[in-house]
Order: sequence, then structure tokens, then C-alpha cells
Amino acid sequence: MFDIQNISKRFSESFVLQNFSFQISRGDKVNITGRSGIGKTTLFRLLLGFEKPDSGTISFEGSVLTDASVWELRRRVAYVSQDLNIGTGKVQALFDETMSFRANLKYKEGAAIEIPQLFDYFELQDSLLQKDIETLSGGEKQRVAIINALLLKRDIFFLDEISSALDKPLRIKVLDYFLLNPDFTVLSVSHDNYLPSGVEIKALKLN
Amino acid sequence: MNGATDLSAFSMFMCAILLLVPLIAVWYFKLGITKNLVTSTLRMAVQLVLIGFFLEYVFKFNNWFLNLLWFLVMINAASFSVIKNSGLRIKQFALPVLLSFIIANFFVVLYFNYFIAQLDFILDAKYMIAIGGMVLGNSLRSNVIGLGDFYKSLRRDEQLYFYKLALGATKYEALLHFAKKSFVAALNPTIATMATMGIVSLPGMMTGQILGGSVPLVAIKYQIAIMIAILASTVLSISLGILFTVGYSFHKNGILKKEIFRTNP
Repeated sequence: MFDIQNISKRFSESFVLQNFSFQISRGDKVNITGRSGIGKTTLFRLLLGFEKPDSGTISFEGSVLTDASVWELRRRVAYVSQDLNIGTGKVQALFDETMSFRANLKYKEGAAIEIPQLFDYFELQDSLLQKDIETLSGGEKQRVAIINALLLKRDIFFLDEISSALDKPLRIKVLDYFLLNPDFTVLSVSHDNYLPSGVEIKALKLN
Repeated sequence: MNGATDLSAFSMFMCAILLLVPLIAVWYFKLGITKNLVTSTLRMAVQLVLIGFFLEYVFKFNNWFLNLLWFLVMINAASFSVIKNSGLRIKQFALPVLLSFIIANFFVVLYFNYFIAQLDFILDAKYMIAIGGMVLGNSLRSNVIGLGDFYKSLRRDEQLYFYKLALGATKYEALLHFAKKSFVAALNPTIATMATMGIVSLPGMMTGQILGGSVPLVAIKYQIAIMIAILASTVLSISLGILFTVGYSFHKNGILKKEIFRTNP
């Protein structure tokens, strides 16, 4: 599904990634590890076309990513960023805005039904919908961002430390949701050494 | 109308004495802006004297071509000032910003002259240059906030912009959030001014008209009309300004070009 060939990326003088290659197949669950500053987030940004590699190629479903084709990829992948700047205003308004994008319109009606179910699963009160995003705790924001991504009905997930602010039982619940679904292709950064039984997690160590 | 009393040389001298107040304060508190204050005051005086002579002739001839040309010069200066003060590069922004200012201000001033002032000669120097100047001056300030804030907030909150792209937004869908915020920031000062107008401030236009011999009731009608004209031209020029510049300002993959800024963050 993804084929990364010999990519290098450097910021000012230091290499973040050097001649880095790997493949991700449909249904894979890949966990990226490595010390901070090694380029884990950069990898997501490269894959989403927010950065360009200095050399090497990234292919998605057999074709090399270009400035034009990266837009299609952004409509196929659901990205939950480590950065919790997910906007301002009410939580409900965030979901409404996401569903108002042309690419997501077809899921708008389904979202109305799913939001309460997802809130229930991730242990959020329905009253949170009417709260301002800025007043939420880190853990609440993380779960809102996860739900926002799930409403898009995509099956490829880039998850950048999405459960760092949650307590252990909830963290496991979040990870289970993604790792136990055989249809999901998941590329994640997570410091949990959690391995649910019956699932093969591929470790990808950056160094 | 009998016009305002002329100010004698003695009056202008007394005016210069009044300038000592800010000058001494700036010097005494060592604010480090003495030079700026002096050059700005001198520039103001020289520019206004030159413009005074120039406008005497413009008003005397009242030639449509000359009026139009001078209004274009004013718009040109305003656009460059907006680009410079919002930290953006002249090269990329000159054309689109100029175009947005020309469309917005011509539309509003001609509308004002034709439908509101109901002039027979809609390119009349007094109206075109005086009304145009007020509209332009005020929408300039709002545009510095609006256009500047739009691109600055995109650079500052790039993560949020990326987040929206990753949620499947097109470039324009993702930018809508930023455009809305910049609009609010740009319009707020004008809206606040309108709410206190007459009580806290007697606007320059009214002061001018009253000194010029108009009765206050005529002056307020013009003032109301001009405030609405300012709002209209501000909204038009900011929307067109954003619309015309976003085409130049992004790479094909939707990333903001860093070279549009004159300074690094």
C-alpha cells in the first residue's frame, strides 16, 4: 500500500531521516519507535505531503506521490496528530466543520448517529459536545480528535501519540479499537508496549 | 457655506509650540523614538503642503481624467502600504492587492457618488478624492489587520491548517476557518468605533464639515453614509485581497510558500 524508497530528509544541517525504506501492506499494524527528535512526526508529514523528502520516493498504491496526487491520499488517510491544536469553538462545531468538507459530505448523516456511540465507547459525556474545545483537558481533546478521524470512515490511520494523555484502561481501549480491526491499516507512534493477543504488530525502529 | 477661518502664521507657530509636549516627553522618558517623531512630523508637514498646492489645482480644473488618475495614485499608495505593513513581499502581492483595492474602492466611491450623494458628475474631484480618501484610509487600516493576520495566522497555526487538509478539506475549505477569523479581527475596530461614535468621538469628517459651515444634521447624514461605505469597501477589499492572493501563495500540494513573507518568524 505504501512503499517508501530511500528517502532522506534533513533540516538545516542534521539528517532526520537518511536513506530510509520500508513498506506497509493493507491491514498492517506498524508501530514506529525511536528517541524523540528522530523523525517520527516528520515521517507522517512526509507521507501526507506536508514535507517533501530531499531524495527518495514515496508510493501509494503503486504510484509515486506527486503534488497533485497527495490530495487523494489526504482523503484516504485519517490522521490524528500529536499536536492538540484542533481548532476553536464548540466540539459539535468541529465535527460539523469536518463533515461539511465536500469529500466527507456523504458521511454526514451517519455521523449524527455515530457520534453518541463513539462518545459512549470512549467514555465521554454527551454534554461535551457543547463545550469549547479550549476548555477540554488533554485527554478529552485526544478522544475528540480520534472520534473526528473515525467519522471520516477511512481505513488507513496515521496515529501520532494519540493516547499519551489517557489513563491505562482507556489507552488500551483506544489501541484495541484500531489494532483489533483487521480492515484497518495503522501506522502509529506509541510508547505503550501493549500487544493485544492475536494481532501482529510490526515494529519500525528509527535510528 | 463660509468655510473655516484660515490659520495665520502665528497659529501655525503656536501649533509648533504644542509639539514640544510630545517631544519633551519622548526625550525625557528616553523612549528612543525622538528621531522617528521628528521625521514623521516633518514628512507630514511637507507632504501635506505639497498636496495642498496640488489639490488646489485638482479642485480648480476638476477634470475627470486628472481626478481618476489621482484616485488611482492614492489607491496604489494604500495597497503598497498594506503589503508593507503586513510583512508580506511586494513582488508577490502588488498586483493582486492593487486589483482588489481598485475594484473595492471604485465600486464603493462611485456607488456613493451616484446613489447617495446623487452627483451629476460622479467623478467630481471634491467627492472622489475626499470621500475616496476617507474610505481608502480606513479600509487600509483594516486590510493591514485582515490580510496580515490571515497569512500570519496561517504561518503560526500551520499545524491546524495541515490538520484540516488531512481531514480531507480542499485548500479553500481549510482556509475558510482562517479567513473568517481574519475578517472578524479586521472588522472589530470599525464596529467598535461605530458603537461609540458621536459620544466618544466626533469623527474627522463631521468636524471638517461643521468647521466648513455645514449644520450638524447634514454632517451626521454624511457621517453615517461614510461609515457604511467604509464597512463595504473593507469587506470587499479583504475578501478580494484574500481571494486574489491565495492563488499565488501556495505550492501545488497546498503548502504555504514561505517566501511570501519578508521576515522569518
